[in-house]
Amino acid sequence: MTTRPAPRRFATIAAAVVGIVLLGAAPGVLSPFMVQFVINLFMLAILAESWNIIGGFTGYASFGNVAFFGIGAYTTGVLMTKVGWPLAAALAAAGVVPMLFAALVGLPILRLKGHYFAIATLGVAETMREVVYNLEITGAGTGLVMPIARTPALFFYLMLGILIAVTLVNVWLAHSRFGYGLVAIREDEDAAAAMGIDTARYKTIAFALSGAFAGLTGGVFAYWITFIDPDAVFRVIVTIQMIIMAVFGGAGTVVGPLLGALVLASVSEILSTHLVALAELFNGVIVILVVLFMPKGLLEVVRAGRSSLRVMARNLREYRV
Amino acid sequence: MLLLQVLINGLLLGGLYGIMALGMSLIWGVMNIVNVAHGALIMLGAYLTFWMFSLWGIDPFVSLPLTILGLFVYGYCLQRYVLNLIVRAQLFLTLLITFGVEVVMINVARLLWSSDLRQVTPAYAAANFEVGQITIPWVRLWVFVTTLVLSVTFLFVLEHTRLGRAIRATSEELRAARLTGIPVAHIYAVTFGLGAALAGAAGGLWGMLFPITPVMGGSLTLKSFVVAVLGGLGTMMGAIVGGLVLGLTESFAGTYLGPTYPNAISFGLLVLILLLRPTGILGRRA
Repeated sequence: MTTRPAPRRFATIAAAVVGIVLLGAAPGVLSPFMVQFVINLFMLAILAESWNIIGGFTGYASFGNVAFFGIGAYTTGVLMTKVGWPLAAALAAAGVVPMLFAALVGLPILRLKGHYFAIATLGVAETMREVVYNLEITGAGTGLVMPIARTPALFFYLMLGILIAVTLVNVWLAHSRFGYGLVAIREDEDAAAAMGIDTARYKTIAFALSGAFAGLTGGVFAYWITFIDPDAVFRVIVTIQMIIMAVFGGAGTVVGPLLGALVLASVSEILSTHLVALAELFNGVIVILVVLFMPKGLLEVVRAGRSSLRVMARNLREYRV
Repeated sequence: MLLLQVLINGLLLGGLYGIMALGMSLIWGVMNIVNVAHGALIMLGAYLTFWMFSLWGIDPFVSLPLTILGLFVYGYCLQRYVLNLIVRAQLFLTLLITFGVEVVMINVARLLWSSDLRQVTPAYAAANFEVGQITIPWVRLWVFVTTLVLSVTFLFVLEHTRLGRAIRATSEELRAARLTGIPVAHIYAVTFGLGAALAGAAGGLWGMLFPITPVMGGSLTLKSFVVAVLGGLGTMMGAIVGGLVLGLTESFAGTYLGPTYPNAISFGLLVLILLLRPTGILGRRA
């Protein structure tokens, strides 16, 4: 949005480069358990950033983005196990297929607004799960067993690479004409159209971009986890995680979803190592607490410093009846 | 003859969809909350009935008033102490919080009742009677009759009682309702309680016809939404008619197209309505 002074901008870029280099060395240093945790963290961060493109910048709250994740996972799965494609080609397809699917589905449902769009996307995800459940080629309800790869470092670098790419796309959105167009649609779609923005095209591209990254991650996930079935890759809770991480960190910003993923994934990891059965329950509780106390994101509360409790109390009162 | 049998199956199932959607439509119409936890409320009703049946051997039809009461109290508290805090926020946030509620309810249900399939099977579960060549299971018929009685009672309360007038007034104009002395926070809670009670009743009846699991609610939420939109939002009769339409559609599609994609069919129906009749539907923007 605002152009930063050159030194500060340089500092940001330098910090990012140092951070990435440090992360790149991580698999050799960290314990295997930590490597798995970081891969998972990267995955959640990618999903949050990819949701941010359509939900944060464009303001279309999709509740079905897990559909793209699942389609990506199954694209890789089917191509590798049934057709015999190599990993690289199968992963490329895991980005392209969900992207096309998102564009195709987006054309009609992006005409819907508010609740209707939310439920329609939810319906897309449920329907896809059902379709995959019934198809022969996807192994139906029994799922697909992938070839086993014992190289955690590979998944680490793949996820890191996708995370960098999706973050760069978000940076681009925050500073480009196209991104401003999306924000204009979020703020007032009729006004945006009157300004000459081709809203249908903008929304569809945003949705397709979002789908491409979610699908790509799904593809890596399938190979990482080595076994996929419809209930594992089309879980509604995955969509909810994407949304809550973006909202918690600050939807429509670049850093927000990263921050949200880092904090929430760590919290749920710490909680669930003690009580595995309760991991999902905690996720639900976190959703409720975030909506009640920090509907505008963590940053607002942190910025308030010592009066952060007062800010949360104000949030709690703001929308009550 | 097959045609008539399919028709009757659809109608009998449609009654259940009707009261599910009635609850959802009420909550949506009055408070502008699309309650994603609606299916979870249905699930809770089903398990309460299952509990009373398997622990104490209470007949599911006899325990139904208790299930309804339990869900009313639960729904009242949920709205009064949680959802009322956020009810005037953007649609997105109210939608998100009901999602959180759904996740919590499903996982608590998993802890309490495990993920196993359960069913409520009273002694008369398999009994049926025949009219000509058409077979009608007694349970389905009684379930249908119960849904009709509940719908009529509910519509009567909403149209002809002081409480119903207060609910409708609050739905029309929050501030004006408050100025005339209606305790809106309480009315909101009662409204949600009524919606939850209808969902609970649907759940209690559902358990006699189909297996129940903690995750059964997801597709039922979707169906309730479809029916509420199908019949026309805000009109309570619409929900009932919409329920019958969905029941018939599923019954015919299941017989003539195969039983593989029930959700895809109801969802396809939703997208069709939303695209073919966008006016009046897109009119309700935040």
